[in-house]
Amino acid sequence: MQNAHCGKLTRRRVVAGAAAATALLGSPAVVRAETKALKVALLLPQSGYFAAAGQSCYRGAVIAPKVLADYGYHVTLSYYDFESNVAKARIQAERAIGDGAQCLVGAFESGATLAIAQVCEQRKVPLVVNIAAAPPITEQGYKYLVRNFDTGGQLLTNGLRLIKDLIAATKVDLTTAVFLHANDTFGMSMRHAMDKLFPVSHMPFKIAESISFDPQAQDLSVEVTKVRALNPDIVLVITHAADAIKLIRGMVMQRFEPKAIISPGSPGLYDEEFFDALGPLADFSIYTLPWANPKAQMTQALEAAFKPAHPKYRFAVDSFNVGFTFEALLIAADSFKRAGTANGSQLMAAIRATDIADHVMIGGPIKFDDKGQNNNIRSAVVQNRNRTPVVVLPPNVATMTPVLPMPPWHGRT
Amino acid sequence: MIELWRSIGWRGQVPLAIALFALICAPVIADRYLLSVLTLILYLAYVGQAWNLMMGYAGQLSLGHALYVGLGGYVAALLWLDFGVGPWLSVFPAIAVGALFGAAIGWLGFRFHIEGVYFALLTIAFAEFTRIACDNLAFTGGSAGLFMPYVEKLAGEWWNLRGGQLLFYYLALLLAAAAIVLTAHLAHSRLGYYWLAVREDERAARTLGINSFRAKMTAVLISSGMTAVGGVFYAFYYNTLFPSQVFDTNQSIELILAPLIGGLGTVFGPIVGAFLLTPVGETLTTLAERLGVNLPGTKQVFYGLTLMVIITLRPTGVWPWMARVLGFGNRAS
Repeated sequence: MQNAHCGKLTRRRVVAGAAAATALLGSPAVVRAETKALKVALLLPQSGYFAAAGQSCYRGAVIAPKVLADYGYHVTLSYYDFESNVAKARIQAERAIGDGAQCLVGAFESGATLAIAQVCEQRKVPLVVNIAAAPPITEQGYKYLVRNFDTGGQLLTNGLRLIKDLIAATKVDLTTAVFLHANDTFGMSMRHAMDKLFPVSHMPFKIAESISFDPQAQDLSVEVTKVRALNPDIVLVITHAADAIKLIRGMVMQRFEPKAIISPGSPGLYDEEFFDALGPLADFSIYTLPWANPKAQMTQALEAAFKPAHPKYRFAVDSFNVGFTFEALLIAADSFKRAGTANGSQLMAAIRATDIADHVMIGGPIKFDDKGQNNNIRSAVVQNRNRTPVVVLPPNVATMTPVLPMPPWHGRT
Repeated sequence: MIELWRSIGWRGQVPLAIALFALICAPVIADRYLLSVLTLILYLAYVGQAWNLMMGYAGQLSLGHALYVGLGGYVAALLWLDFGVGPWLSVFPAIAVGALFGAAIGWLGFRFHIEGVYFALLTIAFAEFTRIACDNLAFTGGSAGLFMPYVEKLAGEWWNLRGGQLLFYYLALLLAAAAIVLTAHLAHSRLGYYWLAVREDERAARTLGINSFRAKMTAVLISSGMTAVGGVFYAFYYNTLFPSQVFDTNQSIELILAPLIGGLGTVFGPIVGAFLLTPVGETLTTLAERLGVNLPGTKQVFYGLTLMVIITLRPTGVWPWMARVLGFGNRAS
């Protein structure tokens, strides 16, 4: 009886069938959008202590969907500000996943990144680390985490190697250096790494002295006097923008002109604040960092999208944060495309199997080792020229040749 | 305790029982995001209560209370990492170390009559030099931080605090409830009355035969020990410790906001303050996102303004006013 009834074509069935067909025909765009675009949540410190860097990363994320779409990838982004606070980072990760995020990207700061990683591990949602240098991030055994960024040790090792290349390329005789670093968390960790790595790096110069300074100090004239007394060829600096400004001003006032001012892996010398405050005095400072490859097609596409979206900012200045944030999104989108699903474990397996040859930052293909670390990132020597960061080494990606020794402070325009 | 329970009357007992029941049952209806917010609220209520004992009852202003969170966290984390000692055991040395530092600060302050803002500066100084020490000591991980490894096979071992959100939620609830019970007990003990006497007029208290040095030292020892327990929770919940974060003055300020807003020297003030502050912060975050506001610091400005409004309207805190409006017994507030 039931079977016979099922086979019967009633008016109610016809109406229901028509409604179902209409719904099916009317909704393919929605269905497509749901299945073809990966929902990525960006967790960034858009306010608080790391706000400047977080905002810079955000600028990269904003333009990413359009650029990725041009390469055949589809992502929808949502943004979560964790206020440079570890406790907030954990809460925001829970919130993002609760809101339906299928992959998380972040978080610029190591402590927050690990707080987010725990949530991702418990919820089985992949986390692609854009920027965070603490080595333990990929040493903790997290299965749902990969990092497309160098560890602090790698940053310094690459930096020292490039300084050696720089000296060889310019053939300038540099025999002594002073290492001047902020006495905050970042500065001290770089100091410890330097103490460990410099003796085994066989550099062509000696460090006469390591001098720490308080980044909160009103001026750094005492430290500059100390450096001046040692009269080194190179001043190696670990700074932030504010203290880098004080440092250069102190050198100019005391008429101390080293042959080179080089940062082996710290920010400060390429911030807009630095250029604004010092004008031509900002030029010729050098830093060794992972940098956007100016000759890569994807970098050029990213730069083209950046200009109209952020007319008040310069891609050349933002390219470190923008580039790594974009690449994290690229990794997620590419993995989603290959996996064909946003299921956590399958998406993570695809992320682990990433092999992207054409990307933004300088270095080899984006690949992850067993621990989820990309070891193919390479630093570049970047020099400020005409108030713009310019890649000067390695030669295959350089757009200018390095200038050493630095021209005198007086007479710069 | 039974006497205290009776003293708050049915008007207090009913909402208190309902609130406790709701918190116990919260995981049934709350999603993980809400649960993580509640965990943070309860944690802040707990450490706020610890600070409240020292400032609210004994009148000793500490602006470096993050010191004890950091010490508790580092002791427990190091014992776990280096010797495999679980948090249920390491909490005792954590309390001891926290109390030891508290004793040093208290002795220096009270022995040499460093009072008021100068005592507050002393607490900040201790927090700062401990931060600098941890930044430079190799065995604490230095400025690069201390990380608790994620070991999959240990996941779910509640006795090692290697569990998920639910475990930490109930632990935070237990800590907050225990802090309320302890505070209520102490507030109505002889020691509690000594504290109040010292807070109101130390010279008069001494004239009455109260050993003010001992009373203040006891407040500092209990408060620092309790806060160190919060540090153990922090270390195992977040699994990372950076000196620049755990000992930071901002962290100290965050710890004291709940009792300040809720009501100093009250049993329920810190928990009411925590339940006001964190949701206000989360609501402002959501509101800013919904309105598409992405100006850095906007939320913080509104948060600050909200706090100013609350403090202006209720200068003695929200809880004393609430207790009065709801007709709770005097002892409850």
